[in-house]
Amino acid sequence: MSGRWTLLVAGLLLLLGVGWWVLSPEPGEVRQVRLLLGTTVEIVAVHPDGAQLNQAVAAAFDEIARIERLMDPARPNSDVARLSVAAKALVVSPETAEVIALGQALAERSSGAFDMSLGRLKALWGLDGEQPHLPAVAEITVALRGSGPGSLVMDGRTARKAAPALQHDLGGVAKGYAVDRAIALLRQHGVTSAAVNAGGDMYLLGQRQGRPWRIGIQHPRQPGTVLCAVDVSNRAVVTSGDYERFFEQNGQRYHHLFDPATGYPSGRCQSVTVIADTVAVADALATALFVLGPEKGLALLSAYPGAEALLVTADGALHRSVGWQEVVTKNGGSRKSS
Amino acid sequence: MMRPRQKRMTRGDLLLAILLLLVALAGLVRMASAPAGARVVVSDGERVLYTAALDEVKDVDLEGPLGVTRLRIDAQGARILASPCPLKVCMGMGPARRDGELLACLPNRILVEVVGPQAEEDYDLLSR
Amino acid sequence: MTCSAADPQELARVRRKIFLALFAALAVAVHALEVLMPTPLPWFRLGLANVLTLVALFLYGGRAAWTVSLTRVGLGSLVMGRLFGPGFWLALAGAVCATGVMILAWRWWRRWFGPIGISLLGAVGHVCGQLLIAWLLLVRHAGIWQIFPLFLLMAVLTGLLTGWIAVVLLERLRQYAPFREDE
Repeated sequence: MSGRWTLLVAGLLLLLGVGWWVLSPEPGEVRQVRLLLGTTVEIVAVHPDGAQLNQAVAAAFDEIARIERLMDPARPNSDVARLSVAAKALVVSPETAEVIALGQALAERSSGAFDMSLGRLKALWGLDGEQPHLPAVAEITVALRGSGPGSLVMDGRTARKAAPALQHDLGGVAKGYAVDRAIALLRQHGVTSAAVNAGGDMYLLGQRQGRPWRIGIQHPRQPGTVLCAVDVSNRAVVTSGDYERFFEQNGQRYHHLFDPATGYPSGRCQSVTVIADTVAVADALATALFVLGPEKGLALLSAYPGAEALLVTADGALHRSVGWQEVVTKNGGSRKSS
Repeated sequence: MMRPRQKRMTRGDLLLAILLLLVALAGLVRMASAPAGARVVVSDGERVLYTAALDEVKDVDLEGPLGVTRLRIDAQGARILASPCPLKVCMGMGPARRDGELLACLPNRILVEVVGPQAEEDYDLLSR
Repeated sequence: MTCSAADPQELARVRRKIFLALFAALAVAVHALEVLMPTPLPWFRLGLANVLTLVALFLYGGRAAWTVSLTRVGLGSLVMGRLFGPGFWLALAGAVCATGVMILAWRWWRRWFGPIGISLLGAVGHVCGQLLIAWLLLVRHAGIWQIFPLFLLMAVLTGLLTGWIAVVLLERLRQYAPFREDE
């Protein structure tokens, strides 16, 4: 009977079609979030091959976890934990050595505005913990003793502290370095379009949908609104702001970005956004510029070719580096108008 | 006629037609009474491809799997000017300018959504 | 000649097969014509091919309706070079839902609904099927249901028209003996 035949043909057609649909190549995008580096790490990546894409993203997360194991002060066997209790010279992993060398270079160039030896001071204020508080002046003086750019010397893979009591904190540079490593892994796996964002330390690889990645920059005083948006490709974007972690006492805001010269939170800026070639450098520069303020900060920035910055000073005024206008796009402006 | 002509439209037919028309019109009225939108968000159903303010007059070329769909944003709202899809349903949808209104070109995977002023900002990621 | 009028059952079966093939062929032709014909609204289509499905349903039953509608989508898309394209899936889903709804309505509610009512239900089924498959395969975006009222309105209007045409066609056909004896 013709009915059965029709059914057979229809079924066959359906099967063929579904097969075609499933097998036809489709560029995939994945977005995965994991809790790493004490924050949420988000990876968005695009690759035509779904299996390879998942592999690449998994490898990138693994690399971040590896860097965390090396540099997390809370892990007893990490390089940073060993360094904090070290009384004499200590051989660290090549990765940790690279991060320390990078941070020390910036510490020297910024005349100490960027400082990795503030471990004791940060512990004293307790802004990373449950109960931050305003320390006594004498406590701050003690916590600052011996810190500064010369307090840690790298010789190859050997780190040497100036005094055993010094506590070093690779903080944002380690976080930025981990993101840089994740991007390198994604590149190795053939991914040409990706974003890795570790709690605001981000790198934007390639383009998204044929245009640069568009990054909104948080307004430091109006939560939920953006100051402006920047279009970036193959660059790192890091923002440091006094609104991230702070407590208020007697109408005064005490935040987590300390001025190494005083031991108190730096009051020159509300937020600083830096665009640079690597996240590690961008993070360190953002911290340094936050402490230095616009004049000295932008002078320091000019030593880093390709790096751009936007500073919001304490009075709410905006200060931009010379090349910033080339990356910033008008708020709500056009991307692909014809 | 050998046998009596059947009624062409039965009472059931008529009731059904009226009911369906009412449902369709109610839906349209509900959409037409929505507040005016502020932004145009173009996506392919999963990702945002493009967004712009509704009050900026411009033409935008949107890439889909079939080719370029041209979107015009002007005083009437957002509408599709040209599309490579076979049926051109999207072009016939006219302008969309109210919150929640949608122009869809399904074959070319272009969804043009008008959203209210409170809706999402114009960026992929937020640096904070 | 082996086919003799002496075997009326055989004659009816052959006749039925031939007319069914004719309906299917006509449906494909109408489908192609509708795609090719320039209209003031470039996307607007009346779904006239559904007239043939309706006629087949009312003359020969559910199975015949399936044959006509599936042949129309399959061959029509093949002829127009759209087989397995995104539009094909929408068309197929629409046709399957429309035909399914029409057959069920015809089976259960024939007493209340004539071809016009069945056609209306089919048109609604068509819209639901298309939007459903669009939502499943193309865009997982709840917003696509926003189009529903507009599509529904169109479906009602075109459903009325195709239903009306089917009624007239059935009346005409039933003036001839071969279509009457099946009743």
